[in-house]
Amino acid sequence: MSEREAFITNTKCECGHQNPVGTVLCEACGKPLGKESDWGDNLEMRYDGVARRSQRVNPSIIDRVWNFFSSVKIAIYLIVLTLLGSMLGTIFPQESTFLNIDASSYYKQEYGTAGDIYYKLGLSHTYESWWFVTLLVMIGASLVICSLDRVLPLYKALTRQKIRKHRQFLTRQKAVLVTEVQEEPEAWVARVVQPMRKKGYRVKTEGGALLAEKHRFSRWGPYVIHIGLIIFLLAVLARGLPGLNMDQHLAFPQGEITQIPDTTYYLKNEKFTVEFYTDDEMPEEFRGKKILPKLFQTKAVLYKCTADCGDPTKEPQLTEVTTHDIQVNSPLDYKGLKAYQFDYDLTPVLRSVQPALKNSTTGETYGKFKLDMKNPQRTITAGPYTLTLKEKYMDFGLNEDGQPISKSPYPNAPAFLFLIQGPDLPAEGQQYFYFPKQVDKTQFQQVAINDKLGGSSRFLELEVDNMSDVDFSESTTYLNIRIDRAMPFVWLGAAIVMLGLVLGFYWQHRRIWLTVTNGELILGGHTNKNWFGFRREIVSILEKVDMVVDEKSLDNGGGLT
Amino acid sequence: MGKARKPIQIVILFLIVLVGGYAIGSSVFGGSGKPEEGSKAPSIDLLGLDGVGHTLDEYKGKAIVLNFWGSWCTPCVKEMPALQAQWEKWKDKDVVVIGINVGEDQMTVENFVKQVDIDFPILMDTGRDAVRSYGISPLPTTFFINAKGKIDNIHIGQLDLDSLDDQIGKLVD
Repeated sequence: MSEREAFITNTKCECGHQNPVGTVLCEACGKPLGKESDWGDNLEMRYDGVARRSQRVNPSIIDRVWNFFSSVKIAIYLIVLTLLGSMLGTIFPQESTFLNIDASSYYKQEYGTAGDIYYKLGLSHTYESWWFVTLLVMIGASLVICSLDRVLPLYKALTRQKIRKHRQFLTRQKAVLVTEVQEEPEAWVARVVQPMRKKGYRVKTEGGALLAEKHRFSRWGPYVIHIGLIIFLLAVLARGLPGLNMDQHLAFPQGEITQIPDTTYYLKNEKFTVEFYTDDEMPEEFRGKKILPKLFQTKAVLYKCTADCGDPTKEPQLTEVTTHDIQVNSPLDYKGLKAYQFDYDLTPVLRSVQPALKNSTTGETYGKFKLDMKNPQRTITAGPYTLTLKEKYMDFGLNEDGQPISKSPYPNAPAFLFLIQGPDLPAEGQQYFYFPKQVDKTQFQQVAINDKLGGSSRFLELEVDNMSDVDFSESTTYLNIRIDRAMPFVWLGAAIVMLGLVLGFYWQHRRIWLTVTNGELILGGHTNKNWFGFRREIVSILEKVDMVVDEKSLDNGGGLT
Repeated sequence: MGKARKPIQIVILFLIVLVGGYAIGSSVFGGSGKPEEGSKAPSIDLLGLDGVGHTLDEYKGKAIVLNFWGSWCTPCVKEMPALQAQWEKWKDKDVVVIGINVGEDQMTVENFVKQVDIDFPILMDTGRDAVRSYGISPLPTTFFINAKGKIDNIHIGQLDLDSLDDQIGKLVD
């Protein structure tokens, strides 16, 4: 029965205006529509009583989807769900906060069964999960549709305001004054215009009727907030696009040019410095107990590859683009690529040595040569001798069968096996093991090995004269390389949200309608907040036209909250 | 109300589905960035031991056994004979075994290949680019890639001759 009633609702007002379905107050004269019993004490002034776009007689599928997203109730549910979801993500650290872990075992080890369940539910990457992104997308859809659903009707209602309103409309506002006026209607209205303008109202009159309005723009505050939020959400979603976002931690050994993966940039750590506080500079309780760094600094040079990039058979051609001394809170910044100081490692890494071949019986030395740890020269001529590099071990050790192997790819204990050929040596040459590091020479007994290989009568040795012939990478700096091209849009969105908040919070849309007919003045006032200030304003305006009104008498049962 | 409403609604809903679908889709499929069983094998472009650059596209239509190794890693060394045996057995049946050396220099790789006596193609990942795109953590790791370029199986740890044979058999079927 009630459904059928809704079907045949008459939406034509007695003033002759045809209103759309869902209209609460006649669009033209403001008379409340619907049955009289539905009317409360005060009028529902939301969107000035104009129907929202989603309100239709026969909703189709598309209308139903539209209605779902246009509902503020649904939007609040979505926001609450998203909040709950993001709370789940903070129970344990997210996977993305770790540099190098095996997530499948980490959570169980660290947090026990709870951690295991947490990982298995996929909560260890909450913010990248499909359901979380879906919630964000739904909030976005709700923002767009809610706004469209309400902005256009509100715009229409506010731009096509009739000056003369229905008596019902005026007397059922929350701020109402009904009193007697002896003057001619038009003369009285003309008198009240000036004090209203003084208060900042825009005033329109029509015979004995008046509409005064101010700060209408504040009504757009919520929609400005929505626009800001939509930009914000889009920017957050866009961070997933390739090239828009990157966040990685990389090691840069001092003195080497290292490529930044997935970019055409190369970064050289020219020098890394770390300074510590001396005991005198530290508070007493720390002295002798703590080592606190004062400064980390990476002198960095950024290069861009200009040719032969990504071709493994050619060396890339690099051009220097910028330099910066990277310190904590002072990252290198080049076209959105940022390099932050993150960590360091002071373990020196051997890069190359320059030994010379020495005849231990005559004391003669032949040709110093450079021996790189990585990609060394394979044949070397030193005086009359030829050295052929046969084997190379970066981290010398022996396997189960007693054969020499490399224990890691890092030059921790490098060893080189040469075949030396030349005068006074057997025709097939003599083998020679060389350990560039002094500690390894003793530990692995270089002399004994070589005696075994070439006999104790051998007379050739490889030796390094002094430390200037040894090239170390003194330290390694760890930098956090970030690219975040979506960030400016995040800030833009946030700024627009702020603007919207300011619009909505610091100004109120205030309207006063009044009619004077047959010696009776009916005044109705509406504002979206700060009713007390509004009431006081009305009273002070009326004072200017010699009408003394008690502030409280304006309250029409709404409590003026 | 206006007749233009419905098309506008459709356009807006369509845009939302488009943007939202992309966002959700990329979080479902592009998630960790680590290739998994069933996903497409990431492309590589590395210098081979033969001095020429190689990509996976060269082996289009062939099943690929992609083995990541290092000369310092004992299980990698131990599985080399099995890989060599399977390479010889299957190479005429459109299967290719490729070894990717992780981060060592040419000399080390050359010596190693000579020492363990293998002759399947070896590529050198000096910059660890392939390691990154395949999300390798422990060595050895072997990817079994079918003729369509999809990862069929990922094996972490040492391979033995029999299971390797089974895996390749499955790949060819």
